[in-house]
Amino acid sequence: MKTRIPTVLSAVVTAAALLAACSGGTKAGDSGGGGGSKTLTLASVDQGSVEDVVKAFEKANPGVKVRYTTSGADQYQQQIRTQLSSGTAPDVMSVWPGNGNPGATYVLAKPGYLRDLSDQPWAAELPDAIKSVAQYEGKTYNAIFGQNGIGAVYNQQALEKAGLTPPDTWKDLLAFCRAAADKGTPAFALGNQDNWVTQLVQYALVATTVYGDDRDFDKKMQTGQATFAQSQWTTALDKYLTMEKTGCFQKNPLGTNYEASQGLAATGRTLGIIQGNWVIALLKQKNPQGTFTFKALPATDDPSATIVPAAAGAGYGVNAKAKNEDLALKFVNFVMSPEGMNLFVKKQGGLPSLPDTGYAVDPSLAELSTFIRAGRTVPFMDQLWPNAKVQQTMLSGLQEIFSDQSTPEELLKEMDADYKAGS
Amino acid sequence: MTLAPNEQLPDHDHFPHAAPAAHARRPRTAPPWWFVLPALLLFVFVVLVPSARGVYYAFTDWDGLDPNFSFVGLGNFADMFSDADAMQAIWHTLLIAVSITVLQNGLGLLLALGVNTAIKSRNVLRVFLFAPAVITPIVTAYLWRNLLGPDGGANSLLGVVGLDGSRQDWLGDPQLALWAVVGVIVWQYAGYSMVIFLAGLQSVPKEIHEAAEIDGAGPVRRFWSVTRPLLAPAFTINLMLSIIGGIKLFDQVYALTGGGPGHATDTISTLIYKDAFTLGEFGYSIALAVVLTIIVAVASTGQYLVLSRNERAAS
Repeated sequence: MKTRIPTVLSAVVTAAALLAACSGGTKAGDSGGGGGSKTLTLASVDQGSVEDVVKAFEKANPGVKVRYTTSGADQYQQQIRTQLSSGTAPDVMSVWPGNGNPGATYVLAKPGYLRDLSDQPWAAELPDAIKSVAQYEGKTYNAIFGQNGIGAVYNQQALEKAGLTPPDTWKDLLAFCRAAADKGTPAFALGNQDNWVTQLVQYALVATTVYGDDRDFDKKMQTGQATFAQSQWTTALDKYLTMEKTGCFQKNPLGTNYEASQGLAATGRTLGIIQGNWVIALLKQKNPQGTFTFKALPATDDPSATIVPAAAGAGYGVNAKAKNEDLALKFVNFVMSPEGMNLFVKKQGGLPSLPDTGYAVDPSLAELSTFIRAGRTVPFMDQLWPNAKVQQTMLSGLQEIFSDQSTPEELLKEMDADYKAGS
Repeated sequence: MTLAPNEQLPDHDHFPHAAPAAHARRPRTAPPWWFVLPALLLFVFVVLVPSARGVYYAFTDWDGLDPNFSFVGLGNFADMFSDADAMQAIWHTLLIAVSITVLQNGLGLLLALGVNTAIKSRNVLRVFLFAPAVITPIVTAYLWRNLLGPDGGANSLLGVVGLDGSRQDWLGDPQLALWAVVGVIVWQYAGYSMVIFLAGLQSVPKEIHEAAEIDGAGPVRRFWSVTRPLLAPAFTINLMLSIIGGIKLFDQVYALTGGGPGHATDTISTLIYKDAFTLGEFGYSIALAVVLTIIVAVASTGQYLVLSRNERAAS
């Protein structure tokens, strides 16, 4: 799962220049670096939250200086690959969980670019769902500090104005959509012009329809016992299109971008938006008076069967050739301490990955927290796919289905072909 | 103003070596060939060698990261020709390049003819029409992305003038999106073409026009028989710039549509970017880049040969 934050190109350029300046590529685990032992280099995609964590880390470790850069996901993935292959990567860097994108744990751990973090105190405490995407071949490489869910985020004021309540069954959902459309305020904003947005509704529906009956679906896919085309993925896709036909979304979702969709939901021109919980912070920026609540998106008529896609967000990995390994480990352990973790998730509007950090969950996320504690979640589907192509095929394929250039059958067949191509 | 004879004297005193004989000989003395060496070395090691080394990767399955990769021969090129997305992207690229070349230069020429007349506001108009060309492409693309949204300025304008029925999902409709992209680029660069045509127009001597007019040629005839041939150099440069720009097009497409919906506006350049940086298929992506280079080289050389022949014929 990639959340694309508006990019700061200059940050990338600065990063390239800055990090090239402190290249060397030699391992300096022993403190032979002289003055360098007090400087840590860091590249992060956590714009807007890593700044606070760095400040707290520097305060807790007097004399230590963190030189860090932040950038959007696209630019970051491009930058980090170049730096890793040329030996100019920073000591600590953002790493995505699992597989399926160019900056993911499997992709970076396989050629040996990441240091094994299994010996760190928090590694054994990670919940299983998170462990599965923080590890590669049984070793932990990714310090994952937070998790996010996908579901319906409602604008409470708009709901009250429309006199409607969030549905918890599929039947009610369609009735809710019809009632909302009749009142002239569509139920959900959908920003499918940005192709990564297209997958969110699909994931929210797949979680219940596919994994509700079959928690081992991923294992079956891996061993070739299951395919997308012959599974409940067809049902989920069908429901997605039923929602579109029922008028659950505003007009022209393909011409509406992520930014515009936030505007619709924040100002009550739709009753909500189907997104990751991270959107709540962005909605609040657009409408500080608004109250926004996360709810699971139902896909069947049995509310107790609903499952939420909830998964680890991007974490931090340590460069296998870190110039300052001690400080790098210290930073990663700070991120995984209750203090660092809470700082991060509070700012990002997510939930901490470790239990018992004493984190007070925001009321808007109460439902997500309940689902996580009850184990009624599955990782984002792409995190366990063998390559990045499956997801990209799905993203452009969903846009094609919405613009009548393709059909669900064609899309699932293509995804199966890409899945079988392996890593 | 003419100079008095005594005013020329100091010049002669100042350059005692500049004898008339030396003046006459100078153009025939070629500079030593090794003068070109520093520039040539720089070009070879900064441009040619890295490019050639890059081309090598087009024949491998390198993922941009793993130091272990294997040689796959022409495999990437073979894949390309069976890849519907790539073929579609090549088609879009050619379609965009040709439409931009025709529309941008057609409009640019009309604008140049317009602002080359004696109308009062011509200087202000020139500035206005050229202004979009100085804005960064990515900025104009983001502006237009909002203007062309379902509730954006373009549709609001149609609503205001009572054409509600003509409202479109400009960037979300696969039939329209490509033309919306072309429209944005023509909007941005027509003024650029205009300036080059304008420079050409202003170099057309008035006397020839007057002579033609006395001979009874009307405005259309004068444009066709006098202005057009004398504008040949401006045509050459404008067509070259727009065809190369059109084939290489990336920023505006990526910012406006990201190649979507689906692959409806993918060009070779956006596909190169996605294959390399999203999918990590560097080998394949470089193979695409090699094809792009060949297309640009063939199109621009061919066009140059044809246009420069016309230019010679016209002069």
